[in-house]
Amino acid sequence: MKPGAFRFVVVALIIAASACQTTPPPSDPSTPTVTPTAPDTKPAATSPVVKTVEPIKPITPEMARNLANNCFTCHGPAGKSPGAIPSLTRFNASDMAVRLKRFKNGEDASTIMGRHTRGYTDTELEAIAIYIAGLKK
Amino acid sequence: MSRFTRRDFLRIAGAASTASIWTSPADAADKKTAAKKSAQVVVIGGGFAGATCAKYLKAADPSITVTLIEPEKKYVTGPLSNHVVAGVRKIENISIGYDGLRKRGVQVLHDWATAIDPGKRRVALKSGKSLAYDKLVVAPGIELKWGAIKHYTDVAAVAMPHAWKAGSQTLRLRDQLAKMRNGGTFIITAPQNPYRCPPGPYERASLVAHYFKRNKPKSKILILDAKDAFSKQALFLDAWKQLYGNMIEWIPSSKGGIVTAVNTSRMQLDTETGVKYRGDVINIVPPQTAGSIARMARLTDDKGWCPVNPLTFESKKFKNIFVIGDSAVAGALPKSAFAANSEAKIAANAIVAELQGQAPAEASYINTCYSLVAPDYGISIAGVYRVTAEGISEIPGAGGESPKDADAHFRADEAKYALGWYASIVADIWS
Ligand SMILES: Cc1cc2nc3c(=O)[nH]c(=O)nc-3n(C[C@H](O)[C@H](O)[C@H](O)COP(=O)(O)OP(=O)(O)OC[C@H]3O[C@@H](n4cnc5c(N)ncnc54)[C@H](O)[C@@H]3O)c2cc1C
Repeated sequence: MKPGAFRFVVVALIIAASACQTTPPPSDPSTPTVTPTAPDTKPAATSPVVKTVEPIKPITPEMARNLANNCFTCHGPAGKSPGAIPSLTRFNASDMAVRLKRFKNGEDASTIMGRHTRGYTDTELEAIAIYIAGLKK
Repeated sequence: MSRFTRRDFLRIAGAASTASIWTSPADAADKKTAAKKSAQVVVIGGGFAGATCAKYLKAADPSITVTLIEPEKKYVTGPLSNHVVAGVRKIENISIGYDGLRKRGVQVLHDWATAIDPGKRRVALKSGKSLAYDKLVVAPGIELKWGAIKHYTDVAAVAMPHAWKAGSQTLRLRDQLAKMRNGGTFIITAPQNPYRCPPGPYERASLVAHYFKRNKPKSKILILDAKDAFSKQALFLDAWKQLYGNMIEWIPSSKGGIVTAVNTSRMQLDTETGVKYRGDVINIVPPQTAGSIARMARLTDDKGWCPVNPLTFESKKFKNIFVIGDSAVAGALPKSAFAANSEAKIAANAIVAELQGQAPAEASYINTCYSLVAPDYGISIAGVYRVTAEGISEIPGAGGESPKDADAHFRADEAKYALGWYASIVADIWS
């Protein structure tokens, strides 16, 4: 399975999970309970406990908004584009996250999305996707 | 690698679903009447920075009373004004009114801010009114440094337009070019950094070349530059050769490009090396500073721009005043409409957080400057920015210029996206 496809499945899983969820999960909020994507980088051989090379920084909804608001400059208000640049409204969160990461990794060709997505961690790209897909259409 | 908990996911998606940029004015009004005492935010300037901030303030917290002060009923955009100069677009198509913002609940006053009292937190207007504020946003764009090039005054700008504030000056330059004889010389000067729209003078030279090629093919274009390097230089130089042969000549500062004085009666420019240049049409892009009101209110530093906190764009000079757009010192961000829009959104959310007694969320900025070398040939430079110990810094490995070896399809796509970007940013702000 291609990494993109793998991520799709995992992200889709949390979305499915969250859709069934009517109340917040009972777990301790400070403990990460779901790891939606595979690590970008293999753990260092000498320290198997190292889980990630990206600093683990919780993304607050306010930060997700600060990240995502930048997208609307090109993709139009709430991702609804009036012109030649594609709208974002047709994407659900998992599709958008997959697509953003494919741009970042160079798996999908682009004029400019590759240059932009390389400025974000995968976690940030996912937060952007979740925020934009959650906006009222 | 991601560490989203289901709870994180729900919180982010939940924040989006209640984000009020798309709430109807009726919703906004309900919330407003429910609020105890509405906070007052005054925004000076309805350009890319100020108008964005007004809209996003209202979106983030509809209970805030947002008053936008802008003298012009129709704002003419810098972006695409080079198309107007080259006769490929009408000025009506780059002029925007404020009804969209009014529909969002922003109070728009067509007036000038004449003074700011940071102690009493009041803004005086030309009409004689005075407004109280809890937070003030100052977004007056640029002022031209008259006299920095000797004899270049507002009077000289009639004969030698700047067209660096879009509007009547844009039309003046367009008309002069339309009247110029075939075989004439068009001179454009470019200032030292920093200035509004770093690739702007070169895009203008390009689109004028496009116009000359079709209408006055024996004409010449001379760029007299106060710098030795410019934005997207290799891409521009390549494209000029390919599209316009030798029509455009760039004279950098080290080869005598620094203009020291203008002589409007002879249509002549003096340069530092003593060489004089005569032109049939001369376009001076002069050195610039922050908008006058920012300087009058002592928001500027000794270089004439406004230092700000990179996380919020709050002035480093006075509390409760935020400076955004071209007037601000924004680290690695250029003075562009795109950056102004990005800064304004961060400032709006920081202001709302402060009014609600919360800390601002982490800031993130982006920029893309598209330039049209011809109507079907676009190039771009992009950047993603975060706040580091050095201020607003570009993230290494991201951003950068269009590829040098791209084919005609790629250039045509970027030209299409340049226009798409324009439609989107205008909708993001004024609709
Ligand atoms: C030829 C040209 C091409 C450009 N192309 C691009 C491009 O392709 N992409 C891009 O991103 N950028 C481009 N720009 C740059 C862009 O126009 C500016 O960076 C942008 O306008 C900055 O926004 P601002 O809100 O800071 O200033 P402005 O847009 O200038 O807005 C300032 C507003 O404040 C008002 N004002 C001033 N003083 C007062 C006062 N005392 N009281 C009340 N109101 C006041 C003014 O009337 C004005 O409407 C271009 C610029 C030019 C000149």
